[in-house]
Amino acid sequence: MRAAATLSTSWRERLFGTPTITVVTLLLAALIAWIAVPIIRWALIDATWNGQTRNDCTGTGACWVFVKARFGQFMYGFYPIEERWRPNLAGLAFALSGAAIVFAPKRLKLSLGLAALVVLPPLGVWLLGGGFGLRAIETREWGGLMLTVFISIYASLIAIPLGILLALGRQSELKVVKLISVLFIEFWRGVPIIAVIFLASLLLPLIMPAGIGVDRLARAVIGLGFCIAAYMAEAVRGGLQALPKGQREAATALGLSYWKATWFIILPQALRISLPAITNEFIALVKNTTLVLVVSILDLLGIAQASLADPNWVGMNMEAYVFSGGLYWLICFALSRWSRSMERQR
Amino acid sequence: MAKAFAFINDKRVRDVFYQAALLIGLVALLVYFIRNASQNMVQAGIASGFDFLWRTSGIEVPFVLTNYTQSDNILALFWAGVANTMLVTVIALVLSTALGFLIGIARLSSIWLVQAIAGAYVEFVRNIPLLFFVLFWYFGVIAALPAPRESLSVFGVAFLNNRGLTIPLPDAGASFRYAFIAIAISCLLHWLFLRWARRRKEATGQDAPVLSVGLFLLLLVPVLALAWATLATRWDIPVLRGFNYRGGFVVIPEFVALLAALVTYTAGFIAEIVRGGIQSVPHGQIEASGALGLRPAQTLRLVTIPQALRVMTPPMTNQYLNVLKNSSFGAAIAYPDVVSLFMGSALNNTGQAIEIIAMTLAVYLVIGLAVSAFMNWYNARIALVTR
Repeated sequence: MRAAATLSTSWRERLFGTPTITVVTLLLAALIAWIAVPIIRWALIDATWNGQTRNDCTGTGACWVFVKARFGQFMYGFYPIEERWRPNLAGLAFALSGAAIVFAPKRLKLSLGLAALVVLPPLGVWLLGGGFGLRAIETREWGGLMLTVFISIYASLIAIPLGILLALGRQSELKVVKLISVLFIEFWRGVPIIAVIFLASLLLPLIMPAGIGVDRLARAVIGLGFCIAAYMAEAVRGGLQALPKGQREAATALGLSYWKATWFIILPQALRISLPAITNEFIALVKNTTLVLVVSILDLLGIAQASLADPNWVGMNMEAYVFSGGLYWLICFALSRWSRSMERQR
Repeated sequence: MAKAFAFINDKRVRDVFYQAALLIGLVALLVYFIRNASQNMVQAGIASGFDFLWRTSGIEVPFVLTNYTQSDNILALFWAGVANTMLVTVIALVLSTALGFLIGIARLSSIWLVQAIAGAYVEFVRNIPLLFFVLFWYFGVIAALPAPRESLSVFGVAFLNNRGLTIPLPDAGASFRYAFIAIAISCLLHWLFLRWARRRKEATGQDAPVLSVGLFLLLLVPVLALAWATLATRWDIPVLRGFNYRGGFVVIPEFVALLAALVTYTAGFIAEIVRGGIQSVPHGQIEASGALGLRPAQTLRLVTIPQALRVMTPPMTNQYLNVLKNSSFGAAIAYPDVVSLFMGSALNNTGQAIEIIAMTLAVYLVIGLAVSAFMNWYNARIALVTR
């Protein structure tokens, strides 16, 4: 009844229903105009769109020439221009396999997914880093959106399996396993991610045997991966707790071992329930990749920040921030809408 | 022979065996890492232990609350960092809770445009990294503020410019001490009054004027006390001399930017918690309290808020802990918090990575545990009691 009434409410009633509403609406509309009009003028009407150099920016508005000139760096960092087909190809491979898994018939999904999990990660590292016939490109030259995507994917390749194991450990009847899982989860959830990145970059080289170095990008990915694993574990725990106890009891009664019951009965259901929560943790991960900036790894935000120091493009702070912030917003907004639509489907 | 090994089919025996194997594996891994670390440290010539804490730090800190100076030891530097972390965390907590409640309630407003603006705000901030806000406030907004000469004046006593926020400082704290004592006494009185009112209600069923007494004790008394203290003190009001302001207290731009970022970001998350909490109260509850003859204000105070708080407390605890942890984002703009002073400057000077990392993480774990213990106690107190 109420929903129907809301739906039939016309715009005139919504905005000008009673005298109070009218006054508030008019005041707020004036406020919006006062804020939005200069922004729109700056970003669109007075902006400069065409040109190559700083000298072409003659308008009083934004100078999008800067973003155009820097677009390659925003996407790939300092990755050599002639080799940029490699991250493109790696991204395409990941995207195509993702699509293949989503649209494959149900009985093929699991085996396809496992095959992708075995093949893709090494393939991606090889394509980006080189070796075996490809020119070696040090991680120092990687950057931009490509690096944001790389860190997000590889950190979640650590975080998701580890998180599932930790969630199972936390639910385990074995006291020692449970205690270790709880300690691990609470420790990583209790410390700031920025400290974890410092910790990984300082501690990993220290605890490795002398002579074995760990690439600094790998350190950041491992640190982030461990930290996110603890959050993932809590997301998965939600799914495990939502499953009726009878599911495992029935599986055990049918003679399935712990791992068989977990693999065939428990996890498929629990993961489906916790998929929205896992997606939310993934969004948090994408946002937290920006922190690699503190150990001088330049992801999308890092490149935007670094570009402010270019003497050829002095004073392009707003353009750099609007562009990079807008990209982050689009990515995270799309992911959060996806997670919300999954929640509704359930 | 087969019988002798039958015990391996016993589930209890196998469980003990698996757990022992896991424990031994982990300990072995840990020992291996520690051995490598000690070898590497010997090679690099780093002495382990906490003796370095008593060495003179020699590190200048631009913003201190403690009486730390460059000639103090590294332990004092550590405490200065902890104090700075606590300062920004506590202020950000209070402000983001206030802003979050405001936006959360606005999202439920019956006025469409208010609802739409609050919704847009939430969708905007929740999908952008916090570090972006920190950098944007610092390099985009604060850096773009006018130079001291053209400062933005706040009622002629505080001045905002690209070197930070200059605020007046009370000359002597004495009158404020009396004001705080008065506020503490009125809080105590309020608590005693509430107890008495509840007892009387249970015994006789009579209502006490809880709201007006509460307003008097918790609002009017503090406001009057603070107003008196403000007028009774002489203030050191900043004055423009040459190129900058003299006098007063300068809040560094790093603090202003970090605080602004934490508050604007966290408020978006708190707003969603507030909205969810209020929406979780079934409409029938409100209708029922109306049918019982409760006035709208009573319904809000006695029915809606207690039930909404119950739903809101656990996620709010998480957000409060997030603010504590996120205050470390200041390290990216060199706000002198415990991470940037200790894991940054002190570590660079001494090289004692393990001790410094352990101490820094301990700060967050200890404060975090204290906060969640308090919130769990509070949650247990307000939780629904089912019989």
